[in-house]
Amino acid sequence: MLLAPSDSEAEVIVPEPSTEEFRPKMNATAVDVYYGDTHAVKKVDLPILEGDVTALIGPSGCGKSTLLRCFNRMNDAIAACRVEGEITLEGRSIFDAEIDVVELRARVGMVFQKPNPFPKSVYDNVAYGPRIHGIARKGPEMDAIVASSLERAGLWQEVKDRLQESGTALSGGQQQRLCIARAIAVDPEVILMDEPCSALDPIATAKIEELICELRGRFAIAIVTHNMQQAARVSQRTAFFHLGELVEYGRTEDIFTNPVQERTRDYITGRYG
Amino acid sequence: MQARLTGRNAAELRFRLYGLFAIGAAIATLGVLLFSIVGKGYTAFVQTEILLDVRFDAAAIGDLEDLEGEGRRAALQRADYGALLRESLREQFPDVEGRTAIRSLTALVSTGARAMLREKIADDPALLDRSVPLWLTADDEVDMLMKGQIARDVPESERRLSDVQLAWVDALEAEGRIRTVFNRTFLTAGDSREPELAGVWGALVGSFLTLAVALGVSFPIGVLTAVYLEEFAPKNRWTDLVEVNINNLAAVPSIVYGLLGLAVFLNILQLPRSAPLVGGLTLALMTLPTIIIAARSAILGVPPSIREAARGVGASPLQVVAHHVLPLALPGILTGTIIGMARALGETAPLLMVGMVAFIVDVPGSLTDAATVLPVQIFLWADSPERGFVEKVSGAILVLMTFLLLMNAGAIVMRQKFEKRW
Ligand SMILES: Nc1ncnc2c1ncn2[C@@H]1O[C@H](COP(=O)(O)OP(=O)(O)O)[C@@H](O)[C@H]1O
Ligand SMILES: [Mg+2]
Repeated sequence: MLLAPSDSEAEVIVPEPSTEEFRPKMNATAVDVYYGDTHAVKKVDLPILEGDVTALIGPSGCGKSTLLRCFNRMNDAIAACRVEGEITLEGRSIFDAEIDVVELRARVGMVFQKPNPFPKSVYDNVAYGPRIHGIARKGPEMDAIVASSLERAGLWQEVKDRLQESGTALSGGQQQRLCIARAIAVDPEVILMDEPCSALDPIATAKIEELICELRGRFAIAIVTHNMQQAARVSQRTAFFHLGELVEYGRTEDIFTNPVQERTRDYITGRYG
Repeated sequence: MQARLTGRNAAELRFRLYGLFAIGAAIATLGVLLFSIVGKGYTAFVQTEILLDVRFDAAAIGDLEDLEGEGRRAALQRADYGALLRESLREQFPDVEGRTAIRSLTALVSTGARAMLREKIADDPALLDRSVPLWLTADDEVDMLMKGQIARDVPESERRLSDVQLAWVDALEAEGRIRTVFNRTFLTAGDSREPELAGVWGALVGSFLTLAVALGVSFPIGVLTAVYLEEFAPKNRWTDLVEVNINNLAAVPSIVYGLLGLAVFLNILQLPRSAPLVGGLTLALMTLPTIIIAARSAILGVPPSIREAARGVGASPLQVVAHHVLPLALPGILTGTIIGMARALGETAPLLMVGMVAFIVDVPGSLTDAATVLPVQIFLWADSPERGFVEKVSGAILVLMTFLLLMNAGAIVMRQKFEKRW
C-alpha cells in the first residue's frame, strides 16, 4: 500500500517507498483535527508500521498528541474536537460504525504523559483491562496475566511482593511501567505513548526506553517525544511535525542524518523547538 | 523598610488575635449552650416514683379465674384501678376524709399508674386479692417538687401543690416511699398530655422514618443527576440553565418546599397526611439540590487523568463512572449528603405544611402512619403550659443532638472506610 503525497504541500515527502516490506498496522490518511476553530492537525498522512517504533517529534503545540489520540479515538471525549479524514486499523476504518470504540481501545492501547495508575492496588491496575474485556476470570488465569504483563513491563521483580499495595505508592518510573503493564495486559496490537518519559528522571527514562525496545516487534508502537536522542535511540521511523503539518516522515536514521526538509534540519539541530 | 516590616508584623499579630477571639467566642457560646441544655435537660431522664401497697381487690377487678382470651381482656379493661389506687393511698393516710381531699391525695400519683396496675395483674393473675408493694410513677407536680422546681415559700394559691399535698409528700418521703429512678418512659413512649408519661420515642421513630425516606429518595436521584450533568450531558445552554436552577433551588426557603409537598403529595397524589412518607418526600425535595451540588463538586474533583486512563484501556463511559469516578467521589458525596440530612433532621417548617405537626401518642409503625419528628415534638412541648414539659424540651434537644452526632459519626466512619480502600 502506498501513501499518496499530500497535494496541499508540494514538497511533502512521499513516505518510504515499497522497496522494503511496508506493512502499515494503522494508517492515517488526510487527517484534519479541529478544536473549535483551531486547526490543530492539517491533512496528515502517517502510517504506523507493524513491529516498528514510530516516533512523532516536533515543537510543542504542533499537534503530535492530538494526532496520536486520534489513533484510538481518545479525542471522542472532547466535545470541541472534530476529526476529519481516514484512519485504518488493519485496513478497516476505525470510524466504521461496526467498530466499537471499546474494542478499538483494547486493540490500540495508550500510555499517557503523566503516569496515571488507578488509585487501586498494583494487581487491580493490571487486571482491570482484562477484567472489563472478559479476557480472564478471577483466579490463577488472571494471576498469570498480571504476572506476565508486569514481567514484560520489567516491573515484576520490583513489585512481586507488593501486588496489593496501591499503585500510586510506587515511584514515578515504576508507575509509568505499571501503566505500560496495564496497557499490554489486554494484549493490544498497537501501543500509543504520549511523551511517556517527560515526567521521569534519567534512570527511569532509560528503563522505559529499554522496555520500548523490548516491546518492539511484538506491538506496533507510536511514541511522541520531545527528546531527539530518545527518538533516535528507540524508533525506526520518525515523523516530524510543525504547526500541525507533517513536514517529513522516513526512516529514523535518514531523518536524523540526512533530512530532506530545511525545517527538519533546523529542528533536529536545535535551531528551534 | 524596617518601619513597614514592623507594621506588617503588627497587622499579622492583630489578625491572629482577631481569629483567636472569634474562635474563643464561638467555643464559649457553644459551651454556654451545651451547659444550659444539659443542665436543664438531664432531669428529663429521671423520674420520681412513689411506693404504695396495692391490694388487687377481686371485688374491683372481677373474677379472672374462669375467663379466657377476649373476655378476660375486657374484664381487665373494665376494672376500676382508680379505686385500687385510692384504697392504697387511704391506707397510707387513714385520716384523710372527704371527696376533694381524697381527690387531691390521688392526684399525687400519675394517671398512668392505672395502666401500670392493669399490666401487673394481667401479667400475674395470682396477685389477685393480695397486697403488693409497688413503685408507681408520681404525678408531674410531685416530680417537679422533688426536682426542686416548685418553691415551697410562695403563697399556697400560687403554688401547684397545696399545703396538705406538700405535707403528704413529706410524710411519704420520711417513710422512704419516694425515690428517683431512670426515666425509661421518656425514651420508650410516644407523646402524652401528662409530662411524666410523655416520651421521645415516637418522635425519634418518626424522624428516623422520615429521614430514611428522604435519604432513599434524594441520594440516588441526586447522585445520578450529578453524574449525568458532569459526565454525560452536553455542555449547552439547556444544561447551563439546569445548573443555574439547581443552585437557586438550594437557596429556596424550606417552607416553600413544604407548600410544594402539600400541593403535590397531599392534594394531587392524595398521599396520607402527617405521614413520614410525605414528610420524607418533602424533605427529599429540599435536600436534592444540596446533594446534587456536593456530588457535582466531588465528581469534578476526580482527576481527569483517571478518566483518561480508564478510557485508554477500553472502559465504557458507564464503566469509567461506576469503577473509577464514583468510588473516588464517594467521600465528598457522603459529606454533602450528611450535611443535607442533618439540615433535614432539624427542619420543622416544611413538615408543618404536610401536617406533621400533630399530637401523636402512638409510635409510628410504618411509613404511612401519622407521625411527628423530633424538632416538631420539641416545638410542641415548648408550647405546652405544664412546668414538667420544660425539662422534656431540653431532654428532647439532647436526644436530637445525639441523633445528629451519631449520624455524623456514621458518615465519618463510612468516609474513612471508602478513603482507605483507595
Ligand atoms: N483539549 C483541547 N482543546 C482545545 N485545544 C486544544 C486541546 N488540546 C490541544 N489543543 C490545541 O491543539 C494544538 C495541538 O496541541 P497538542 O496536540 O497537545 O500539541 P503537542 O502534543 O504537539 O504539544 C495546540 O495549539 C493546543 O493548544
Ligand atoms: Mg503533547
